[in-house]
Amino acid sequence: MNIKYLQYIAICIGLTVVVFSCSSGDDDTGGQTPPEFDRAAMLANYADNLILPAYSDLQVEVDQMAADATAFESEPTAANLETLQNALKSVRLSWQDANFYQFGPAETVTLRASLNTYPTDTDKIESNIENGGYTLGSIDNIAAGGLPALDYLIHGAEVTTEQIIAAFTTDPGASERMTYLVDNVAFVKSRVDDVVNSWDPAGDDYRGTFLSEGNGGTGVGSSISLLVNAMILHYERFMRDGKIGIPAGVRSAGVPRPTATEAFYGGYSAELAVANITGYKRLVIGGSGSGLDDYLEFMESDELSNDIQDGLDQSINDAGQLTDPLSENIENDNDGVIAVFTSLQEVLVLIKVDMTSVLGITITFQDNDGD
Amino acid sequence: MRVAKNITGHLNKTTSIAPLVVFRVLFGFIMLVSIVRFAAKGWIKSLYIDPQYYFTFYGFEWVKPLGPTGMYVVFALMGVAALMIMLGYKYRVAIVLFFLSFTYVELIDKTNYLNHYYFVSIISFLMIFLPAHRSFSLDVWLNPGMAVSRVPGWTIAVIRLQLAIVYLYAGAAKLNPDWLLEAMPLKIWLPANAHLPLIGPLLQYSATAYVFSWFGALYDLTVVFFLSYNRTRPFAYLAVVVFHLCTALLFQIGMFPYIMILATLIFFPARFHEKFIAALTGWWHKMVPGTPNNQVRPARDFNLNPKYAILVGAILVLHFTIQLLLPLRSKLYPGDLFWTEQGYRFSWRVMLMEKAGYAIFHVKDRKTNRQWEVQNWKFLTSNQEKMMATQPDMILQFAHYLQQHYRDQGLNDLQITVASYVTLNGKRSRLLIDPATDLTSIRDGFSHKDWVLPMNRSPKTATLYHPL
Repeated sequence: MNIKYLQYIAICIGLTVVVFSCSSGDDDTGGQTPPEFDRAAMLANYADNLILPAYSDLQVEVDQMAADATAFESEPTAANLETLQNALKSVRLSWQDANFYQFGPAETVTLRASLNTYPTDTDKIESNIENGGYTLGSIDNIAAGGLPALDYLIHGAEVTTEQIIAAFTTDPGASERMTYLVDNVAFVKSRVDDVVNSWDPAGDDYRGTFLSEGNGGTGVGSSISLLVNAMILHYERFMRDGKIGIPAGVRSAGVPRPTATEAFYGGYSAELAVANITGYKRLVIGGSGSGLDDYLEFMESDELSNDIQDGLDQSINDAGQLTDPLSENIENDNDGVIAVFTSLQEVLVLIKVDMTSVLGITITFQDNDGD
Repeated sequence: MRVAKNITGHLNKTTSIAPLVVFRVLFGFIMLVSIVRFAAKGWIKSLYIDPQYYFTFYGFEWVKPLGPTGMYVVFALMGVAALMIMLGYKYRVAIVLFFLSFTYVELIDKTNYLNHYYFVSIISFLMIFLPAHRSFSLDVWLNPGMAVSRVPGWTIAVIRLQLAIVYLYAGAAKLNPDWLLEAMPLKIWLPANAHLPLIGPLLQYSATAYVFSWFGALYDLTVVFFLSYNRTRPFAYLAVVVFHLCTALLFQIGMFPYIMILATLIFFPARFHEKFIAALTGWWHKMVPGTPNNQVRPARDFNLNPKYAILVGAILVLHFTIQLLLPLRSKLYPGDLFWTEQGYRFSWRVMLMEKAGYAIFHVKDRKTNRQWEVQNWKFLTSNQEKMMATQPDMILQFAHYLQQHYRDQGLNDLQITVASYVTLNGKRSRLLIDPATDLTSIRDGFSHKDWVLPMNRSPKTATLYHPL
């Protein structure tokens, strides 16, 4: 008997064993409905019913804001200013649903850092207006552009409506200030348009990449890994810390920093925080479609799934107790703000530790520029 | 006495050098591939240059990375050494260089500890004492006088023994309730691969996880025996290939499957390896016609210089005594091993648990009574943070690092506590460390860490962050 013959037999037997062990796996559950979770359908739900609509809503609001900015530029009246202020708020509220997806196109154009780096650098803004020659979106201007910069420009620090309008019309450097406002709106619009086009099936079709079979696993770089890592990074650094923890002083050796709230000048930071946590819960449950909660339930972790949803409801409720302007809430009753931080912290553990472990998703995110 | 005599006789009985030589070539080859892959993935930078803090092993705090240039040089040397091992060029220098550079890198940061890195370290250590270059090597080609065709049995037996220890301890470690009765963690890991073609859908069945778990344990416990007998060897090796390729497909475990697939060839008889060498030689002569063939010479035996025989014998006996005892040290500690990880490393506990955690460090300045939370990511890479969160000794090391960091800022009366939430094999997360323990008052060591909470009595949450 030569070696070749032996090898042939060995391979045959080996394959038989493999097939047998696989089919015995079949037999054990043969009578029952096969357990199945359609991860591809879940990802499609995320793409089509959460991500794409969130971006397109954001785009609609940004377009409206751009139109309102143009109107304010040609007619800088109190009414037009108020319209623009409301438009900015609408953009910032719709951003709360679009800010979770910092991977793929959003990562390419550094969408989050471009749109929402705060606290905004007012000195840098003033020097840009005075000196001109700025490039919005460059690294040294990251804190001098985007929505928080607009917040500063059109609300101002403790000034009257008349003073704001004067700054854009009659004060020295008024026209440069108006240019900076318009440039900034255009900058925000261009970044949002880029991301929308990149996801668009008729454009760069990142949606197709996101839903492709090759990215259907759970390993590093798979679509679900990108999504879950992005949402956890957002939760930790930008929702829990950025909106609540940092202003409350949790990260600054216990010294509160009320000016580090998200909409410090407009004074609706608490409202944005509630919107963000509400959006987060929608993200976890996949809106009305198949979501991470269903995936957890498939993995026999119903209790965990419920606790995460209840915890987020609790956080929404706790954040709802905050009053705007949040900066004043921090100065007057920081304990209440820290209570929201603690409540968010408890859910984070369930999402970052328990959920990813049950779903077999590796936490891989690298350090990122923050807002 | 008779048994002892038999064993000694067996160990000194000469046998063909071929298995040893093929092992050397394949080891050098797979190490070279591993190092090139490691570099190509950018891991030299992300693991040994980027971090600002490194988790050293207890007693090896003096091991420090060498900075960007230094680390690239170390890896370059390691790669060159692997190539020299493969070619059998200045073998003794190469194998010592490889062992030292590889082990040095592994000692820099326990974040990156992997059982198979440890395996590579000890195999390369053993190879220092083996005449693996005395045939089919550049050394012999350049200096035909050193060629031998037969070696004492022990030179091959040590590698087989080391492999047997790895498999048997890995198998024994699988004999635990979670693995056998709950099919954990495979019940979590397998469905994560449900998108794979053909076998994917099967992986969603919990029965599949049980089959894999039991087969895995059985495989580890028996494969060495089946590899040792002529009649069972082909099937056993097929099992080796199928098993390790399965793990390569399903888990992110890098080069380990391929290393084991090649290493286990050492169990094949000399005839197999001689054919392998003949095939390689034939291929070489085809590729480079006209190479003089100076491999043909009368049979000659390798004999260890008696001057060194006692020394080498003592080193090997000591080595294997440690190898046999070290994995058992976890029995000296109370508590659940998977939870406390006291005695977990260096014990061939491979792919045994799904563990994840999140450690929140609370700092309180006793002078001002101010308190805050640490942003771990400002000090650690995401990989370090992830590994630290589940391992008590690393949590303590990081707390001490934080203490030093704040002391440098002038804060020298701090209390540092940690709320570390850990999930093990899909169970709900619980606190790993007593959240009331001030870690600045704890010293690291080999004694039992009583500040690690017992798994079954650990509370689910701690409300540590008292309002300021």
